Amino acid sequence: MALWGMVIDLDRCTGCQACVIACKAENNVPAVGEKEAKRERIISWMQVLTETDEEHHGEKMRFIPRPCLQCDDPPCTKVCPVYATYRNPEGIVAQIYARCIGCRFCMAACPYNAKYFNWHTYQKEGPGQNPDVSVRPKGVVEKCTFCHHRLQKARVRALAEKRDFDPREYVPACAEACPAQAIFFGDLSDPVSEVARLARSPRAFKLQEELGTKPKVIYLTEGEGGG
Amino acid sequence: MTSNTTPRLLLLLVILGAFLTLGYWVNCSGVEQPIRFPHKTHLDLNLACTTCHYRAEKDAVAGRPPTALCLGCHMGGDTQSEEIKKIRAYGEKGQEIPWRRVWRLPEHVFFPHQAHVTAAGLKCQTCHGPMETLTRPPARPLKTLAMDDCVGCHKARSAAQKNKANEARLATVTAQRLPTDCIACHR
Repeated sequence: MALWGMVIDLDRCTGCQACVIACKAENNVPAVGEKEAKRERIISWMQVLTETDEEHHGEKMRFIPRPCLQCDDPPCTKVCPVYATYRNPEGIVAQIYARCIGCRFCMAACPYNAKYFNWHTYQKEGPGQNPDVSVRPKGVVEKCTFCHHRLQKARVRALAEKRDFDPREYVPACAEACPAQAIFFGDLSDPVSEVARLARSPRAFKLQEELGTKPKVIYLTEGEGGG
Repeated sequence: MTSNTTPRLLLLLVILGAFLTLGYWVNCSGVEQPIRFPHKTHLDLNLACTTCHYRAEKDAVAGRPPTALCLGCHMGGDTQSEEIKKIRAYGEKGQEIPWRRVWRLPEHVFFPHQAHVTAAGLKCQTCHGPMETLTRPPARPLKTLAMDDCVGCHKARSAAQKNKANEARLATVTAQRLPTDCIACHR
């Protein structure tokens, strides 16, 4: 059984936000409008966090692309009263919109603010939207799923062609769009895969690792050039 | 006062009743297709479902056949059939037959036809009901599918395949590919 994970090399990230836009287009993430944005209700499954470099204060920024970190021990799933969010056997933290009752306990539990609430019906099914991803209704929580629909489609393709599924066929939209190739994706359980190799790198670290959430999005710190 | 409001209230109730009846009637009359297509006649000729719904083998959606496909058989010769004349008229105008969709899964469901038809070898009737008996297009789905229908089938087949998983490599692979995980179907 695969264990899907992502490695983001901060040394390569230029903060261009291509991953953010690719994610929005791929997953029908709604634009909430100016009024809602002012009330901090922006939905962005992938977000580029910025941090001032401590050594070069005011001169240099650090960019940290942050999707859902797909924790191996996710705090959000434990508080869901209706089993609308859970960790699936392949390590993807799923969100079942049809089950979600919008209590937002999971949002409170997530230490990474990776979950978003639909305060209104922001969009309807229509042309221009990705038909592989549902349009979330009002009153449910949504989040990044590592573009799980791409995995479903790749598996179905392999199944219909009566061949084995190759993990390299599954790449989320953000990793595909990154012009700096800062995002690596693959099977962490396969020791020879590139993500598994990079995750073992001495540069590897996890966000708020001390919380014990065991995220499967692993970052590589800036090299010596980064200070 | 009372004698004045009672007839008005009655009138209101009558109008409301009429609206509800009309709504019910419209809802129950179902979908009407532009051509009175008889599934039975075609399947009695030993045609497969996928002869016309050919996308079912390659795509997530089975779809309805294009006009050109119908004309492939119904083009030549004289015909007395009004329905075939209609198809030819659509063909002459270069138009697609405006088939209307009858089966519709909820928007949050991911259901790929190709995997179920080609790999699992499911009969179309498993989900669509006895289509081969229809002499006219169905106005509404012959079967109402619930989540239990999907989960039940996946669970039963998974169990059967696990039992013979050691027999052949393909069986092992297929057994792994029959998930009952929620996001396997919920999109």
